Amino acid sequence: MKRLFQHAEIASEDSPKLTRADVLVEDGKIVQVAPSIAAGEGVEVIDCSGKILLPGLFDVHVHAREPGQDQKENIRTCSEAAINGGVTGFVMMPNTSPAIDTAGVIKTVLESARKCRIPIYTSGAITKGREGKELAAIGAMHAAGAVMITDDGYPVGNPVVLRRAMEYAKNFGLIVASHCETMELSGKGSMHEGSKSYSLGLEGIPAISEEICLDRDIRIAQYTGTHVHIQHVTTARGMNTIRRFKEEGVKVTCEVAPHHLIFNHEDVGEYDTNYKMNPPLRTKEDNAALLQGLIDGVFDVIATDHAPHTEFEKNSDFGSAPFGITGLETALPSLYHYFIKDGKFGWDLVVKRYSAEPRRLLGHAPVPIEEGGTAEFIVFNPGATSTFSRDFMKSKSINTPFINKTLQGRVDTVVLGNEVLLSR
Amino acid sequence: MTPRKDLLDIQSLTDEELDFILTNAVPFKNLFKRSVKKVPTLRGRTVLTLFYEPSTRTRSSFEVAASRLSADVVNFSVSTSSVVKGESVLDTISTLEAMRTDYVVVRHSNSGIPNLIAKNTTASVINAGDGFHAHPTQALLDVFTLKEVFGGDVRGARIAFIGDIQHSRVARSTNLLCRRMGMHTAMLAPSSLIPRDLPQDIAVFGSWAELYAWKPDVIYLLRVQMERQNVPFFPSLGEYHRQFGMTDDRLARVRDAGVWVMHPGPVNRGVELTDNVMTYERCLIDQQVENGIAVRMSVLYWLKPGSATEEAVV
Repeated sequence: MKRLFQHAEIASEDSPKLTRADVLVEDGKIVQVAPSIAAGEGVEVIDCSGKILLPGLFDVHVHAREPGQDQKENIRTCSEAAINGGVTGFVMMPNTSPAIDTAGVIKTVLESARKCRIPIYTSGAITKGREGKELAAIGAMHAAGAVMITDDGYPVGNPVVLRRAMEYAKNFGLIVASHCETMELSGKGSMHEGSKSYSLGLEGIPAISEEICLDRDIRIAQYTGTHVHIQHVTTARGMNTIRRFKEEGVKVTCEVAPHHLIFNHEDVGEYDTNYKMNPPLRTKEDNAALLQGLIDGVFDVIATDHAPHTEFEKNSDFGSAPFGITGLETALPSLYHYFIKDGKFGWDLVVKRYSAEPRRLLGHAPVPIEEGGTAEFIVFNPGATSTFSRDFMKSKSINTPFINKTLQGRVDTVVLGNEVLLSR
Repeated sequence: MTPRKDLLDIQSLTDEELDFILTNAVPFKNLFKRSVKKVPTLRGRTVLTLFYEPSTRTRSSFEVAASRLSADVVNFSVSTSSVVKGESVLDTISTLEAMRTDYVVVRHSNSGIPNLIAKNTTASVINAGDGFHAHPTQALLDVFTLKEVFGGDVRGARIAFIGDIQHSRVARSTNLLCRRMGMHTAMLAPSSLIPRDLPQDIAVFGSWAELYAWKPDVIYLLRVQMERQNVPFFPSLGEYHRQFGMTDDRLARVRDAGVWVMHPGPVNRGVELTDNVMTYERCLIDQQVENGIAVRMSVLYWLKPGSATEEAVV
């Protein structure tokens, strides 16, 4: 089976400039990348004029909700949502019900994952039941296939437990991913503590809740010599703390979510629960600082924190609604619409931070569009638009600020090996 | 003026709407002097009070206001077990729709619940206090009272809010409306009860000495909301009274300066104020209560429930 992607603009992590080329795929391999390739007999030709080819995206922070919460999502629907957004691999978070905290649950979810059309990986919990008290069976989970450990959704509140977890994880080369929040400071907060939370009369989550925990977790990682990955950073001060520790040589990586680059706490408007997430949307100044941090390379990866919830749960008052928004299907169009289109950053940054580096984080090789490589890429159409209607979305849940809104740019095609997973 | 279905906060009111409500409260208040204190304005309409939080004065005030407009008043019984469940609120909304209620007066401990209800019903929703968010009719009655005191024009007058600013929807709404009416506002409270990111032009004081120097015309004492403080914000009620309450000594100084005193009630005697404040000749607490009925009548008269608007079109 041969497919020829003609007249495409190829994106790579090495250059902000796109390269015009044709790409020939045969039996799941990229066999030729050249300025012009003639279509031979029996070759399926896909005209990519005006479109961008970029390596398949990889998301290290996804809530697939399986096991236990399949009214929100399951691994299969999550994988289809990922494909719909151009994501060809992701890492599940362990805050399921029951939590993914044993080798048995790891095996179960990986069994479900194997039935999907893209590779899916899972993290395991740091502590049993994510309760922050006793260490989970970290070694056994690693042996069963866990690629990182995290209690995401919660921090490990007790620094001694975190220290021991980090020391122990080192034996297995596991990354310890950290949801940074000082729960006592967050209290019953439901959005960023600031002028907007005051005017809405909502309890706030102060920036220091995240910043104090972030500082603590990196210091413990520094002390133990463990690789810590800081999840969903939202404040300029927190980001600068990471920058400083990185300069000191501490093994710390971090991620930023598209929604924390695009939206701020004012967007909550009149109690729109599709803007309720944890960590919360911060200030406009934080947006700008985070964007600069992404461009400067403080952030290693972009990750969505895809967090599906049912309409029923979100159709509640702001304080009672659950935290979290979906992101897999909106990430790339939103990055294009808000940043690339206006020249704030180039395609190379997306390839590096949302495809290559996330794979490297797990010790996997990136999937550049070059001869000899496996075909794992997407065709993005900047001339088209995406309207995030219920019909468009493949996730079971539609809790996103973009619901029924239209953004410039659309994922037209997703190719993985010999399969075309998506074709619009 | 475009018909308005709901009253959820102060911010969304236009100047014209504000003027309409405050102006029309005057004839409604005059009605109270008559032997028959009732007009047929809302005959055939149903006002439902939906209070998820305990309240005596606000609920009674709305009941009296509605009955003086000849509306039928129904109290919806809300079990305390359903308070924290968003689902229960949505179920209640379905029930309201089935009952064809014209007005829903709602109080809830969660901010934004009246907004949620308003989006899901054709009835006119009046926010009677939600979480720490808003209490628009309290703000309206407070400003109505101040206009009476200052001869109709409150511009330039200085009002200081004292107490639990952090947890007070009254402080938010009344302060906002006072500023909008051209008043200067200040706040005095323990720093732990002053929210961060207040608007820059609100003066914030840490002591009565600073407040005296500011020369307030009105002091608005806020109720210390112990039930909302899940962690201590100050050492004790006794210390609060000594440091921030209106003690007899402070009352004497306030009396000498001719300062008006307000309080939204219910009063914590010995905490926000001493008993003597209640008999102080410039204490406006009773006047606030009386004006509350007139202002709420005006609000009910002003709002146009979905069903009423449809009738008007037909």
